[in-house]
Amino acid sequence: MTELTTEFWFPPAGQLGWFAPELALIATIVAVVAVPIILGRRARLSACVALLGVVAALLLTGDVGRRVAEEAAAGLAPPGAPPMLIADNFAVFFKAFLLLFLTLVTVLWLFGLTGRRPALARRFAAHSVEFFVLLLGSALGMMVMVSTLNLLMIILAIELASLPSYALAGYDKRDPAGAEASLKYVLFGAVTAAITLYGVSLLYGAFGTLDIPTIAAAMAGGGAGVGAALGLLGLCVGIGFKISAVPFHFWCPDVFEGATIEVATWLSVASKAAGLGLLLRVVTAMGSLDDALAITVGIVATATCTLANFAAYRQQNVKRILAYSSIAHAGYMLMAAAVFVPAASEAEPNLAASALLLYLLTYLFMNFGVFAATACVEWETGSSALSNFIGLGRRAPWLAVPMAVCLLSLVGLPPLGGFLAKWWLLVALGSGAAEHDRLWGLVLVLVLNTLFSLYYYLRIIYMMFLRTEWSRPAPLAPHVGGLVLVNACAVVLLLFGTLGARAVKLLADEYAVHLYAAPLARAAAALVP
Amino acid sequence: MANLHGYLLLGAMLFGLGLVGFLARRNLIVIFLSAELMLQGVVLNLVGFGRFHRDLDGQAFAGFILVIAAVEAGLGLALAVLLLRRKGTPDVEAWRALRG
Repeated sequence: MTELTTEFWFPPAGQLGWFAPELALIATIVAVVAVPIILGRRARLSACVALLGVVAALLLTGDVGRRVAEEAAAGLAPPGAPPMLIADNFAVFFKAFLLLFLTLVTVLWLFGLTGRRPALARRFAAHSVEFFVLLLGSALGMMVMVSTLNLLMIILAIELASLPSYALAGYDKRDPAGAEASLKYVLFGAVTAAITLYGVSLLYGAFGTLDIPTIAAAMAGGGAGVGAALGLLGLCVGIGFKISAVPFHFWCPDVFEGATIEVATWLSVASKAAGLGLLLRVVTAMGSLDDALAITVGIVATATCTLANFAAYRQQNVKRILAYSSIAHAGYMLMAAAVFVPAASEAEPNLAASALLLYLLTYLFMNFGVFAATACVEWETGSSALSNFIGLGRRAPWLAVPMAVCLLSLVGLPPLGGFLAKWWLLVALGSGAAEHDRLWGLVLVLVLNTLFSLYYYLRIIYMMFLRTEWSRPAPLAPHVGGLVLVNACAVVLLLFGTLGARAVKLLADEYAVHLYAAPLARAAAALVP
Repeated sequence: MANLHGYLLLGAMLFGLGLVGFLARRNLIVIFLSAELMLQGVVLNLVGFGRFHRDLDGQAFAGFILVIAAVEAGLGLALAVLLLRRKGTPDVEAWRALRG
């Protein structure tokens, strides 16, 4: 054995300061448990404590972002070793993104307390403390997922994000659908986690290190054997499960249908964002993908969006349709990873990364808008069956119109944010295909899939506005808070597509620079003995 | 040290047995056991590689995996109790209401 470090290393406060958002989230988890001991278990109290903590973490992320902009990337590193955790531009974007979304989901949960019918609301509110501990725990895992390149930390982060999610899916344990959703989620999760771990053990065995940039440098130096390739494949299985890429997507529709709408909302955006962030980080650490790997990712992306779009056709439950829609969008975003090519210089925004960040940002608002609208209907009627949306245009116009706006944005029609996102993705695909000729197909796949997806999105809109003749249900009185959320999302999407288009693109560009500086420099340093 | 291959072979066998059990069995508890078996295969791999590379990363990793396996088993068994109480059978085929 090499000599063991005799002294115990504890990260200095200066380094820990870079991870203030995570620490704030941990403190919030403790507070969510501790406060009810003093003040009594009340659902609203837990939600407010969680909300305060998350907003504090968001503010701290802004602070870290300012420091990162001044001092460039930093990390949490033992002396003489590559960092375990990284704080850079990219991580700051994803942390802010996840925390913003967490805030929205918590607000939606609060509205769900008063929006549901009393009997359901009581059942729903019964375990608020547990709910928020699990929710914040999974958020913490996702935040760590996007800020590390160490295999051990990646595994711990994926598990920290997954394990609470399994429990969240079956959070209402009296609901058989929730129990079944949880069962399917945990079974898929367990087997993919084991495969991922096996892959990671092979990577460690092949290169003797857990640091991905070092591994990438060794691979580029011609050290890649069968074990390394299998190991990389195993790691990709884990990431594919988190973003529900085909063929690891089976859990997604069942979990969305069985879980409560708030949990489905959280998983639909956060799990995919964290998975894509991690994937992009791994891809950047490798510099650029070689042809075979890029084509593999391209094929998976193609299969993911095509299969999801066709499977969505015959669904009768809006949550299931949205689950397949979210799988399709994960496929679109995967395409950006397939065409990732390093930009000419460090300070120049990377086209593919910028397209991905822009897409995620738009996707957050359009998906949250549709889910919040579905939540309003589910709270009132008790289910999210497509038949509950018939005539919604007359029964609740203030709900139906913004929901239609969000749906059209998911299709990608101008002048909405979704169009802008698809447009920049197409630009990135075009420029990436100039490097890898065979990726031109992806442009075609994206355009064709947008056309396929038109049908099922329009089907919901048709149900809401045009199919009223044979049923005249009573007018719906959706929850006011839910209405505000849905309308706000629709307005944001309109702004993204028109006046704010330039500002959003600049924002995405700002976080797509200096992506590969840190990993490559470290890998080069690691090679020097 | 001399037998890295032995450890890897045993690890791969445990992993493979777990995978086959996971896919072929229908009893909920056996399925969770199979998942645990797969993780133990990984642990053996990591410890073997750690010894081969002469550093502690592999063993430290194995320790973390034991924790992950324990948490997963806890969650899985809690779920198994919930499901058993509802349907009275450990057969996973009894749970197929969500489809499409």
